[in-house]
Amino acid sequence: MSNLSREEWVSALSAVPEQSLARLTERFPRSWKVTPKALPQSGLGMLKLRETTLGDAFYLGEFPLATCWLRVTTERGEQAEGCALVMDDRVERAEHMALCDAVLAARLPGWEEVAALIEEGIELRARQSRERKAILARTRVDFSLLDDVGDEDA
Amino acid sequence: MAYVAIKGGGQAIEGSKAVLEYLRTRQGECAQPLQADTIQNQLRLLHGRVLSEGGVYHPRLASLAIKQAQGDSLEAAFILRAYRSTVPRLAETDLLDTRNMRITRRISSAFKDIPGGQMLGATTDYHLRLMRMELLNESPERFRAVSGEWFKDLNVDEIPDTFPKVLQQLRRDGLLAPLDEQRAQQTPFDITREPMIFPVPRSAALATLARGEQGSLLAIAYSNMRGYGDVHPTVAELRVGYLPVFLPHPITGKPMEIGEVELTECEVVAMYEADEEGGKPLFTLGYGACFGHNEVKAISMAILDRSLQNGVQHGPGNPSEDPEFVLLHVDGIESMGFCTHYKMPHYVTFQSDMDRLRATQAKQSQEQGE
Repeated sequence: MSNLSREEWVSALSAVPEQSLARLTERFPRSWKVTPKALPQSGLGMLKLRETTLGDAFYLGEFPLATCWLRVTTERGEQAEGCALVMDDRVERAEHMALCDAVLAARLPGWEEVAALIEEGIELRARQSRERKAILARTRVDFSLLDDVGDEDA
Repeated sequence: MAYVAIKGGGQAIEGSKAVLEYLRTRQGECAQPLQADTIQNQLRLLHGRVLSEGGVYHPRLASLAIKQAQGDSLEAAFILRAYRSTVPRLAETDLLDTRNMRITRRISSAFKDIPGGQMLGATTDYHLRLMRMELLNESPERFRAVSGEWFKDLNVDEIPDTFPKVLQQLRRDGLLAPLDEQRAQQTPFDITREPMIFPVPRSAALATLARGEQGSLLAIAYSNMRGYGDVHPTVAELRVGYLPVFLPHPITGKPMEIGEVELTECEVVAMYEADEEGGKPLFTLGYGACFGHNEVKAISMAILDRSLQNGVQHGPGNPSEDPEFVLLHVDGIESMGFCTHYKMPHYVTFQSDMDRLRATQAKQSQEQGE
């Protein structure tokens, strides 16, 4: 798997189709005991921005936030904790990601599939980044072309 | 004087809701309902406006609000704002820095050569505003082909992930005041939880303007541009892009990216002035930022930020420099609410007005008769 830190897993998983993530978590053994470590919640987060002229902090606005922190116990007694915070209002989506977080962090059975899904997410994010860079590449202003004709109005 | 309960309107109100739904769906058998993704992509500027004025970066629900409001941006922002009032706040980010934005557009009207270069991105600035008649009968095949061919033959390897700020160079040259690190440590004013009692800190003004109604911001900023003020801005940098949002991972405690928000940011350089202690004259600055791609709003906000700073420092010389005037009149939900409330029954108050007019007329007739 790519050398991705644990803090980057949710970002990668956010990029994959929702159905892929849900299908993966459905394949985890039903014999596992999954208990909440903290109450799963759905609500809002507040975005605090530092404006860049004088350096003041201010609140730009809010965003949806779903959280989940759980503990997984396998039938063999292995335990792992997983959590996820995601910009979404669906708790089940955070639960799916928290399960993947636990499975991958503790290398529980099925971790390779989680790793593969994260790889897919990384590729999708890279594709999105390339798309944005393509927007820039295609619209870069070449002022040198104006030099021959004068650039007073450039 | 007392208000009276109105009876008998219930059926009409239900009927009115049904009519609204009928008008939304009457296009005919071949019609397709609008999908949320369609609204987000094909009406993306309207979508961004609702995100920003609603004050919540929730793309899916903003699309729903636009659909539900049948395209009325004020109503849609109202629906989104109402939604936010029903859910709890779970977290607050640490200070986020727009230097980390994943840029899709970046221009400067102060310098042609800026570090990293100018990229126009998506803009209508250079369009002739002629009708593209071919869009009236656009085929789905041709529509899909545009984005399908878009990546061909484009080398993006030299494009960096992030770009430096234009203001950095002006700061290095001693033309701007240095950034005060202490200012960022102050707790910002939360307009969603505290009533604004004037004077308010700049953070309250920025938050209010950030979710203000575009037309209101533009109108007041325009008054400053035309002569009721003297900001005379130069856009040092206008950038559009995606800002990654971080919260601490509950287990490791390290920042994790939970998503990203699209935003527009504008920094304007305005008239220079010396500080009150007689220090070196420096350019003054204004700042604007909002959710979504909305350049008119970001520029207007930056102008108003600067004019309000003028007003706070020297006393307001015109409406756009008066914090109370500006900040209490730019919110679309509040102003729309006050406006539309005039449609509600005012039978008793108007009856009272008529009574007083008749009494005044009678008194005048009596006086003239005497």
